[in-house]
Amino acid sequence: MALRSLFLAATLLLAVPAAAGTQAYVDPRTGLDAWRARDQGFSATFIQRLPDQTRAFFLARGFSRRAADALAGRCLFQTILGNAGKRGAITVDLSEWRWHAPGGRSGRLLLKEAWLRRLAAQGEPLRARIALKWSFYPTRQRFEPDDWNMGMTSYPLAPGSRFDLDLVWHDAQGRRHRLRMVGLHCAPDRAVPPAKGGSR
Amino acid sequence: MRRYLATFLLCCVLAPGRADTGRPDAFQRGLRTVDPPLAARDFALADVNDGTYRFSAHHGHVRVVNFWATWCPPCRREMPSLERAWKRLAPRGIEVVAVNVGEDEDTVFAFMGQYPMDFPVLLDEAGRVVEQWPVRALPTTFVVDPRGCIRYRALGGRRWDDPALLEKIEALASAPPVPCRRTPGN
Repeated sequence: MALRSLFLAATLLLAVPAAAGTQAYVDPRTGLDAWRARDQGFSATFIQRLPDQTRAFFLARGFSRRAADALAGRCLFQTILGNAGKRGAITVDLSEWRWHAPGGRSGRLLLKEAWLRRLAAQGEPLRARIALKWSFYPTRQRFEPDDWNMGMTSYPLAPGSRFDLDLVWHDAQGRRHRLRMVGLHCAPDRAVPPAKGGSR
Repeated sequence: MRRYLATFLLCCVLAPGRADTGRPDAFQRGLRTVDPPLAARDFALADVNDGTYRFSAHHGHVRVVNFWATWCPPCRREMPSLERAWKRLAPRGIEVVAVNVGEDEDTVFAFMGQYPMDFPVLLDEAGRVVEQWPVRALPTTFVVDPRGCIRYRALGGRRWDDPALLEKIEALASAPPVPCRRTPGN
């Protein structure tokens, strides 16, 4: 186990570090905070998802309130990855990515396979699980030049958390690259106060 | 000199910021050649007009097969351009079909009230066909030649009425046949 951890740490350190920085901006369509970075042909964008937005999305797809709350209770980002280069295919495996929160905490993403197992065990409807399957980011993906797509990524962190994220990608020659996104901020779960004199 | 240095430093800082966000320029991207071409899996699906669309019954035509869902932002964004593309391609005998993944007829029908779709819209409610085709994410669109071989693929949204894309699709109608790789089950 210790050897495995050492090996993993060594591979991460040996990864080709990214020269690009993280650019924080406000997504013009949503007004939400967003971050983007590019490392050679590999591009990554993370846009906040509001917990209420996530809750509403999954309720509308047929999930129970319990399941929608569980999803909304985690940090989720709308994630856009792509290959804007011309140097061949890029491969990404989200299970290689690691988040690093203040206080030295770090960990892996909550991948869609884990959500699907959990939600199937809870008896959530098939239609809803199909929507989750296709709205979450594929765990493993190969991007040919010009390929890009959008999907949700989730993290075992509470809404409002801040963290850095190490994105690992592999180029056409099989070289491993690491791109650090700095200062990601999960959208906080803000309750809308009840209207004065009214009930909700 | 100091001003040039400041400009240079500013460029260094901002350069990574020109990162591709997947939009809006990503929609201007092209079609990826599938090499070697892959035999498309046959399927039969209900369409929103209570008919059935069997894929193999349309061999002899170039087909643009789009996998999508109403909740998928790039799918929604590319749909009007797919409609415009269909209007240009249909008189040339080229078909466009949109396979909705995992949603019911009412949901799709409501969407079509906002986004006109005059080409066949098929319902893969149980998500079986999408699993049999080489789809990893939505939207994914395939261009299939008259013999049923997938020749081009687009992962992510596109501006389908881009003349460069349309020319490529139209050229397939008269392109010489190529060997097509079969996968188990097709």
